[in-house]
Amino acid sequence: MHNLFLKTLYDKRSFILGWVLGMAFIGYLMTIFFPAFHQDNGLDQLVKSLPPAFKGLVGNLDNLKEMSTYLGSQLFDVRMPIFLSVLTILLAVGLSVSEEDKGQLRTLIALPLSRTRILLTKWVVIVFICLFATLATIVGIEIGLLTIHETLDIMVLIRLGGMMLLLAVALATAIFGIGMATGKRGLTTAVGVLITVGSFLVTTFAPSVDWLKDYEKFSFLHYFPAPDIAKGTIDPVNVVVYGAITIIFLVIAVLFFRRRDVR
Amino acid sequence: MSSTPVVSIAHLTKRYKGFAAIDDVSFTIAKGEIVGFVGLNGAGKSTTINTMLGFLHATDGSVTIFDQLVKPQTAHKTHQQIGFASGDMSLFNNLTGKQYFRFIAGRFGIRDNTRLKQLSDLFEPDVNKKIGDLSRGNKQKIALIAAFMASPELVILDEPSSGLDPLMQQNFVDLIREETTRGTTIFMSSHYLTEVIDVCSRVVLIRGGKIVKDIPASELVTDGGKMVRLVSQSVVIPPRTAELVEKKKTDDGYELTFVYKAKPAQLQQWLSGVAGLIDVSITDHDLKAAFDDLYELETGEHA
Repeated sequence: MHNLFLKTLYDKRSFILGWVLGMAFIGYLMTIFFPAFHQDNGLDQLVKSLPPAFKGLVGNLDNLKEMSTYLGSQLFDVRMPIFLSVLTILLAVGLSVSEEDKGQLRTLIALPLSRTRILLTKWVVIVFICLFATLATIVGIEIGLLTIHETLDIMVLIRLGGMMLLLAVALATAIFGIGMATGKRGLTTAVGVLITVGSFLVTTFAPSVDWLKDYEKFSFLHYFPAPDIAKGTIDPVNVVVYGAITIIFLVIAVLFFRRRDVR
Repeated sequence: MSSTPVVSIAHLTKRYKGFAAIDDVSFTIAKGEIVGFVGLNGAGKSTTINTMLGFLHATDGSVTIFDQLVKPQTAHKTHQQIGFASGDMSLFNNLTGKQYFRFIAGRFGIRDNTRLKQLSDLFEPDVNKKIGDLSRGNKQKIALIAAFMASPELVILDEPSSGLDPLMQQNFVDLIREETTRGTTIFMSSHYLTEVIDVCSRVVLIRGGKIVKDIPASELVTDGGKMVRLVSQSVVIPPRTAELVEKKKTDDGYELTFVYKAKPAQLQQWLSGVAGLIDVSITDHDLKAAFDDLYELETGEHA
């Protein structure tokens, strides 16, 4: 409790516990659903009956035949980004503009702590909480695998978990950066929602809607092709994009937060 | 008391979209001074304090504390020697008081808990409950203890005792007096004039974002003067030095009240010349009234 990092983590303990349990449960649940997806041939018929635009929501049915691609397509490619978006918006807004609105940021600034140090410590807390959420998901999957007596190469989970962490950190940093740079709750929340909802819609429907294809590269999720990652491919460009987004927003946040008025 | 300026504020101005929250504010605070910063709501007290602490950047002018120019990006360099508490201070609701003190001790590098124990004995806060579950008064006690526990050279307080009960307000006054003997410099804004006059060596008065008075606190007391009320059978012309003169016709005759600040002998001489005197009373001019008068006179708004 003597330093800001531990104090902030302790302050967020209920949030962390809730999300760790939630993510582990989602990982567990999706894993134990695998036999149902794997054995149900009726699903093929159902998907064939869907309009083309909605097939993007389900993904490639071939991915359901293997545990690795099943998790890649059904957990990490569709659901996990949604949960991560909610996590990152709540976390980033909570640690930036919410603390400022409550006056807690002033209390910190009144201490012998530089603004840069306050900002970077909060960001490290964000990274740790994203890491906890990622690890919890992997633990949930492992427990699920034990429950249904399936095995999976741990490298698959490390690759998926690693890219999931990069996605979460990049998304959280973008929202946190806007919050710390401006101090405006409405703007920060709006941008966060716009990024996540926009990314989700573009990535989901781009395979079926021609004119959306040109905009797909602007989606956060475009750089997280979970089924491909599950098959063993991590495109270094995707890692660089998430890394660059993180660094750019962090630098912007530091530059503006050091000089602006804090309410 | 040394005259070394601990705080030097020069032509400080803060504007929001054309509106000047503070305008050309200048004053200095010497080491060991206890300065009261007084003004009505919206006068610019908090804006001045927020700029001194680096929460806000100045539109114009400068704040220098411990020879360090204060800006948002550099303010933390002075904070090792500054304790701060405000009446509406937001602490961390998920921590207990004990955990908060541990965090503050870690930030200031405090290893000896003696001062914390002394302050806890004085204010008796509930340190085992979550701060979020505490009453405003208890939160205020924790904020005050945190401001003083590092034995800072300068303490900046913004309406510090507003949430305290009368007993704790007295303990707060005792604490300020004790700090005076330690040589601590204190700058406090307050709505409680008696508190300011009780503990402060100097009073800085702000109105409409401008400093309108900067005087020793003792002068504020003597400025109060005497309130003279007399009833006479006929209309009486008040002395030339009388202030705040009020006249009215009553059932008994004519009532005249005024504040008199000149030499008592001259008042005695003037009274001896009053014809048809029915009644007279001379009392100390109420401190608050004296302050209000001073405030209004300084800004030329007295009726």
